[in-house]
Amino acid sequence: MTDFKQIENSLKREAKKLLESAEVPVVLAYARGYDEKHPMPFAAKSVADVEKIVFNEYCNFNMARYIMRFPDAAKIAVAAKAADSRAIVVLIQEEKVRREDLVILGISASGMKDPKTDQLIDSRTTGGLYNPVEYDILLGEEIRGQKIVSPYEVLAEYEAMDKEARWAFWKSQLDKCIRCYACRKACPMCYCDPCFIDQNKPRWADKAPQSPGNMMYHLTRFHHLAGRCIDCGECSRACPVDIPLYLFHKKVAKECEEMFGQAAGMKLEDKPVLVDFRVEDSDQILK
Amino acid sequence: MLKKISIKKISDLAVALMEKGTLLAPVKDAAGHNFAELKDQQQLDLNYYNTIVSPKTVFLPQKEDFIKYETGKPIIEAQSVDLNIKATFLLGVRPCDAKSFQIMDIHFRASGIIDPYWQQRRDATVIFGYAFDLDIPAQDADFYQTLGIGAADPEGSDVFMVKKGEDLLLGAVTPKGEEILAQLAMLGEGKPADKKYFEEYIKKGSQHQTRNMCLDPQVIAKKLEDIFHSGEFWQAQSAACLSCGICSFVCPTCYCFDICDDTLFSQGVRRRVWDACMFTDFTLEASGHNPRTQVYQRLRQKVCHKYSFHVRKYGVISCVGCGRCTKYCPVNIDIYSIIEDAMKA
Amino acid sequence: MSFEPKILGIACNWCTYTGADLAGTTRLHYPQNLRVVRVMCSSRINPSFIFRAFQLGADGVLVGGCHPGDCHYNTGNLYARRRLAVTKKILEFAGLEPERFRVEWISASEGNKFAEVVTEFTARIKELGPQQKLKIDELLEKI
Repeated sequence: MTDFKQIENSLKREAKKLLESAEVPVVLAYARGYDEKHPMPFAAKSVADVEKIVFNEYCNFNMARYIMRFPDAAKIAVAAKAADSRAIVVLIQEEKVRREDLVILGISASGMKDPKTDQLIDSRTTGGLYNPVEYDILLGEEIRGQKIVSPYEVLAEYEAMDKEARWAFWKSQLDKCIRCYACRKACPMCYCDPCFIDQNKPRWADKAPQSPGNMMYHLTRFHHLAGRCIDCGECSRACPVDIPLYLFHKKVAKECEEMFGQAAGMKLEDKPVLVDFRVEDSDQILK
Repeated sequence: MLKKISIKKISDLAVALMEKGTLLAPVKDAAGHNFAELKDQQQLDLNYYNTIVSPKTVFLPQKEDFIKYETGKPIIEAQSVDLNIKATFLLGVRPCDAKSFQIMDIHFRASGIIDPYWQQRRDATVIFGYAFDLDIPAQDADFYQTLGIGAADPEGSDVFMVKKGEDLLLGAVTPKGEEILAQLAMLGEGKPADKKYFEEYIKKGSQHQTRNMCLDPQVIAKKLEDIFHSGEFWQAQSAACLSCGICSFVCPTCYCFDICDDTLFSQGVRRRVWDACMFTDFTLEASGHNPRTQVYQRLRQKVCHKYSFHVRKYGVISCVGCGRCTKYCPVNIDIYSIIEDAMKA
Repeated sequence: MSFEPKILGIACNWCTYTGADLAGTTRLHYPQNLRVVRVMCSSRINPSFIFRAFQLGADGVLVGGCHPGDCHYNTGNLYARRRLAVTKKILEFAGLEPERFRVEWISASEGNKFAEVVTEFTARIKELGPQQKLKIDELLEKI
């Protein structure tokens, strides 16, 4: 079982080193919130701040989404779990940040919990990885010997449904949407300014929380994240009405992996699948 | 006037109210409870803590159509959408939420301009407030005690409900409440012992512990004015904020809205939808200038509006301590902690 | 009154649109249901166009572009091939009939192919019936 306290101590130690030596002006990590079960994302900017850093099983936040908030910093440090590290890789692939401008504090952890239910997060509902794919320093022990679980196994039930049942499922789920846009803001890949849904020229959807607008927003968002979603599950945890967005994102990720032979955010030298092509791509993918 | 009914017979009350008009109560779905129209008396269930979205949806729906029009035709031919509001019974409103309606009234019918839609809905609705269960400790995020609201506070309700063992006591708070209680034949009369219990429960409610600090509206208003320009304070407080908008949507005292003309081919509707000061483009002007492009500016606006500007303009804090913003914030930002830090700053 | 589908056709200027012209000048018959929109290249197509088309009442959407390797802009259709493949998978997973959205490579000299594809596609959409899942409710009664 992951020793969260040990990782917390390592994280504090590394953050202190980085801030003391002024190698970075900010370390993106986690701090205590209003109680133990509700930590918060935290930007430590001084040695004094380091004391506030925590790491426990509720620290699900994908700190990659805050990287874009520090455009002026020469270099920043980020605490990154498995999925978070993949998000960082995608941001580097998309040239939003340079690898040399980041100090990635990789964290290997299993046993993360959802504070809403206090249950272990089923790793099949996220990317199924425990070890970061890219890091400068690894905090905690690399996790080995875990049963290999396909991140797409959880889709089998939905793929088996006939299309009428699947439509009914998605319609009822997306009708619940209250258009709070927390999913968009929780996602490290949703950095577009302005976002398509906020635009008036053209106006893709109205603002009312009802079917046509909800469909347009979500279907388009699923498309915009094709080949970029790294399966952290934050969008679904952020949603106040519990729409299982991760299912659809996973399906798109699965199709992209099958069609184009590449999973998002695994290797720095990859290009995201939709800004790339192969002459030998098969026409069969359009059938 | 005090009435009572056995909790086992609660569906009878539901039937009576459904016959008289529309009954709205917390209904459970996968994510939690939300106020919705009851179609089946068996749905009435008093086992919940509080709803996800506040009951402001009853008076200020998230989407509200006003006028239907056809482009190219003269304005005179546009049709107003009729409200067609029936008598409405809003059952199961917690004291903090009942208080929020009074704060919202300031904006929708007490500041000179009356919002006819809010007004009609408000007038047509009887509010059945419901005391928090004093045997259960308040949830961590709650802090209504700080804002002077008791866990069994009848203020803002027309009828106030208190559980007594296997029974539910219903006390009239306003003339509207008395009128409806008199009409509900299935309710029994409250005995003197019930009356005593009811009154004591209300008193005990004001002692029910939630997070509490000494908070004088004038003091916090001034404090926030003093630190308005402290970039360091607001940057630190907003470092985690995603600027998503959930807090505004679940809040019982947030009232900002947007008016949109949604036209499809040549038919259109002018409607009102909820807006949120946390949205990036909330203050985007037609010129393209946006005075609040940074997250810290928007979070500062939200907190200062509720605890400072609103106090200066209307004398009351625009918050009831229900804790929803904290509970549903994806990054656990806590307005109570922000205010605590502000007081110490 | 039998069902006459509304089909949106998006054709790239250099190949498919010219191929459609050829079908016209050689007097080939094909069903009238297709409403053609011309784009300069198939890669100009924003997938949101497809979603929006279905919302606005399209019963089918047919996209035509140059054959891969023959794009007038060299690589446009190679991006489009990937992108529109994703669009198709999304529509399918959402529960829409996958045959309602079709992508074909039709060159400027393939007037015959254009007519054939449109005929075949229209017939298939007629079989599938009106598209109601994504269509905006307010439009369901009127159009």
